[in-house]
Amino acid sequence: MIRWLTAAIFFAATFISGATNAQEETSSSTLYGDLQSVTQSMLARAAGDGNNFLHTNGNYEQTRFYPASQINTSNVKNLRPAWIFQTEVVDSMETSPIVVNGIMYVTTAFNHAYALDARTGKQIWHYKHAMGPVTTYCCGPNNRGVAVSGDKVFMGTLDAKLVALDAKTGKQLWETQIAEPELGYSETMAPSVVEDMVLIGTNGGEYGIRGFVKAFDTETGEEKWTFQTIPENSVGVWATEDATGRNMHRDIEAEKAALAEMGDPYETLGGGVWQNPAVDLETRRVYFVVGNPSPDLDGSLRPGDNLYTDSLVAVDLDTGEYVCHLQYIAHDVWDLDAVSPPIITTVKNEAGEDVKGILHAGKTGHVYVHNADDCSLIRFSEAMVPQEDMWTLPTAEGARMLPGANGGVEWSPMAIDPNHRLTYAINLHQPMTYTVRSTPYPEGKLWLGGSFDVIPDEEQWGNVTAVDYDTGDIAWQVRTEQPMIGGILATAGGLVFTGEGNGLFKAYDSSNGAELWRFQAGAGANAPPSSYTVEGQQYVVVAAGGNAQLNFKRGNNIIAFTLAD
Amino acid sequence: MRLKPAAVALIFAALPAAAAEDFVLENELALCMGCHGENGVPSEPDYPIIWGQEYFYVYTQLRDYAAQRRDNEIMSPIAAEYDRDQAKLLAEHFAAQVWPDIQADLQEGDQQIAERGITGGQCSACHGKWQGDSRIPRLAGQQVGYLLKTMLDFKNEVRMNAPDKISTMKQLDDDTIAALSRYLATVDVQ
Repeated sequence: MIRWLTAAIFFAATFISGATNAQEETSSSTLYGDLQSVTQSMLARAAGDGNNFLHTNGNYEQTRFYPASQINTSNVKNLRPAWIFQTEVVDSMETSPIVVNGIMYVTTAFNHAYALDARTGKQIWHYKHAMGPVTTYCCGPNNRGVAVSGDKVFMGTLDAKLVALDAKTGKQLWETQIAEPELGYSETMAPSVVEDMVLIGTNGGEYGIRGFVKAFDTETGEEKWTFQTIPENSVGVWATEDATGRNMHRDIEAEKAALAEMGDPYETLGGGVWQNPAVDLETRRVYFVVGNPSPDLDGSLRPGDNLYTDSLVAVDLDTGEYVCHLQYIAHDVWDLDAVSPPIITTVKNEAGEDVKGILHAGKTGHVYVHNADDCSLIRFSEAMVPQEDMWTLPTAEGARMLPGANGGVEWSPMAIDPNHRLTYAINLHQPMTYTVRSTPYPEGKLWLGGSFDVIPDEEQWGNVTAVDYDTGDIAWQVRTEQPMIGGILATAGGLVFTGEGNGLFKAYDSSNGAELWRFQAGAGANAPPSSYTVEGQQYVVVAAGGNAQLNFKRGNNIIAFTLAD
Repeated sequence: MRLKPAAVALIFAALPAAAAEDFVLENELALCMGCHGENGVPSEPDYPIIWGQEYFYVYTQLRDYAAQRRDNEIMSPIAAEYDRDQAKLLAEHFAAQVWPDIQADLQEGDQQIAERGITGGQCSACHGKWQGDSRIPRLAGQQVGYLLKTMLDFKNEVRMNAPDKISTMKQLDDDTIAALSRYLATVDVQ
């Protein structure tokens, strides 16, 4: 009871002091297992929901800012494991646990899904997808979690399907084939649900696909609209500089000659969408970032800017019609693409006025700050990782350039604290060489057009970086032993949580980066953490399953933490 | 008595696989056993284990042999006789078999050298824990000689049906490739 009151006081303090981005708390308190289905109102107001964790990135704005503060800077030292659940699959885990009224939904590699009692970790149901014989995916058999709506749970699969499950039983209600896996399409991202639509993109930028974001009917699985991330005219404006104004050393005349000879390469130009869109219900827009062109390193086969690869794109929520875009790197030949999910929040524009903005963290190591109205770039941050010899073109022998092809910031979502006006990113430093080798489209096989190779003799590391998105300045930065991949969570308790490949799961003071707590998870903690509150008790949860891409130690644990009595 | 590869090649050149219309699965399996073994253990150290190999990988390789995207004096003429459905039948059969145990040994320092190569080539991004999945072949427990030959064939641009492997393998020296072959052959099959 005392703890419940404490939580209530912290909530009250948070919302009273909540400044410009004060969150709206949902009205109903969470009692475990009341089986209240997930309403659109709940989804829309998730940013202020101090009980549930309803979206992959916390809310439609994707802030990953959890508004409860029972666990805070003063008591996080008392955080202890509440329970550990071991899944059936010992392999890379990238799931964001979703929590609805004390029921947690998590997924594993190879598309297992579980419902758990979020208080105890007790299994309620287990769904194992009947995988088709053909899967084609990069980079690991991953899944990043479910979406919830009504009484349904939605998951994308490695064999490029979307499945809907009964949230109470795990029974499959319907499935729909999104695209053809033999041609390189697969699903590792978590879907998003808005009203009667399930939104999902596709993997496949390493296999010569033509990317998309699609909307499906939540009740039937029927397709409602498709936005092709690669337009039939993908040429663009022949940009010679990247979004930060640096010359990319394109040979425009050679590209124009190639275009005249081979035509627009749009059919196999890649442009996967790896992560969830940010949803603006006010303007009825969705914002997402589009990945690399295919083949990754060989630009000779794909003349032009390769629209809309390596771009922030906005489309109409109801129709999928194009609204605006900004391309970070035209004609990318380094795979330094856009994968970390965008965030909607209030930012200062060039005149110092508050405007609706979009944040994205690039593999380049910059945080890009956009105006949501037209996708235009307001500013970009200081580089969060070393940049050397940008933009050196790949060569047949291999050319060194930093960052390496994994970033900077990989698919890992950022989190923000709107009170500090800081965004938190986790970065990799992995020196690589870029090698180009031109080969024709190999029909669904890996098609990189060369290779990016880690330089074994050079040190690798990572960092956690806080960026002031109103100025682009780095507010604080903490170096980590290994390159960072997974994700981060900020809370109203003044904390950020993130994990490392060596198994360490840590809490930092979100204002200054001071490490306040750590736990050894036993395998790579390379998944985005979530938080939730059940019966007055706040928890933080993370999956520790390692990472295939960086070969971090695999495991199968879902670990929930709460304050010791 | 075991036949030398050159002799096997001559025999198969003289006795091609059945034409598509004469396809009988059992007859074709008997042909396969000549090299890949009656119990899944191949007759030569640089022939691959295909019992328990991934269905879609085996199918794809048969199609690539047939189209000479992967050229081999024994396999190309055999695979050229199979249509898609017949190639799928064969792939399904071998994928359903149990992967055989074979003996392989590490040399001192192999694991460290192999892991360095794996990091450099980012091999685990596709190959994961080496167990295979769909179009990714199982490498765990494969024959050392075959693994060595395959990686060197990529490096030396002999094998051309997975072109991105060529760039990756060119980054690895031959000693690393040899250590990697021994390492993968000793990884437990799950």
